[in-house]
Amino acid sequence: MSETPQLGEVTYTRIYDAPRELVFDCMITPEHLTHFWGPVGVSTPVENIKVDPRPGGVFETIMVNDETGEEYPSRGVFVEVTRPEKLVWTEPDVEGGMTTTSTFRDLGDGRTEVTVHQTNVPEMFRTPEAQAGMQSSFDRFAAYVVTQK
Amino acid sequence: MADDPLSTTFAALADPTRRAILTRLARGEATVKELAEPFDMSLQAISQHLKVLERAGLITRGRDAQYRPCRFESAPLEEAVGWIERNRKVWTDRFDQLEQHLRTIQRGQTTDGTAAVPEPTTTKEEHDR
Repeated sequence: MSETPQLGEVTYTRIYDAPRELVFDCMITPEHLTHFWGPVGVSTPVENIKVDPRPGGVFETIMVNDETGEEYPSRGVFVEVTRPEKLVWTEPDVEGGMTTTSTFRDLGDGRTEVTVHQTNVPEMFRTPEAQAGMQSSFDRFAAYVVTQK
Repeated sequence: MADDPLSTTFAALADPTRRAILTRLARGEATVKELAEPFDMSLQAISQHLKVLERAGLITRGRDAQYRPCRFESAPLEEAVGWIERNRKVWTDRFDQLEQHLRTIQRGQTTDGTAAVPEPTTTKEEHDR
């Protein structure tokens, strides 16, 4: 797993020992999603998952905390669904409209590389100047400052 | 541009001068004049940066009308860092669990010829390639 330290954007990558179509379908099928969507300690019951995998279709989940029963609803809308290569959804409720782009790369040996790129994303973060200034400095800075208390 | 608190924090931190100002203030409060010295910038320019930081809640300013010393406030930054860490954990866990799930369903398919969970009907033919 690798992450870019860019401010306001995150990228996660993982390689799976599984064919691309299967990995892609896991991301858009409630019966699959319910098995892994949670983080640890949180479940996503299959009846809480609505997926309509086409542009404009919903991608809604309600995760449930295993201990407290607290619910974490999430409302997404698909922007692009190109099986088995690319999946894009936005969450208008989150941090000013977070967009999540998942790309699925066939490594040619039965494995699939999944990259999740999230932008959360004031326009200014995309200028070359902002990008250059923010490379890696934010993580170091934030870590530093929080220890100063 | 979005005006939720987290975006405001990120936006305020997007500028290297403002990050430098915060780094300085993390060591202790300072006046505009003291802040302007190391940056070779006008008091006006520094004041503009301070306004952005103040709006983002990253600094507060004293009441003394003449000096108004600036003080670093860490809460919004911790909030931003907290979001990044929580988000990272969600995706790390999700990827781990997907790995486990893929193993389970692929094992299911090889040992008894059926998937551990129902396959979507629209994509069934693709899985067996």
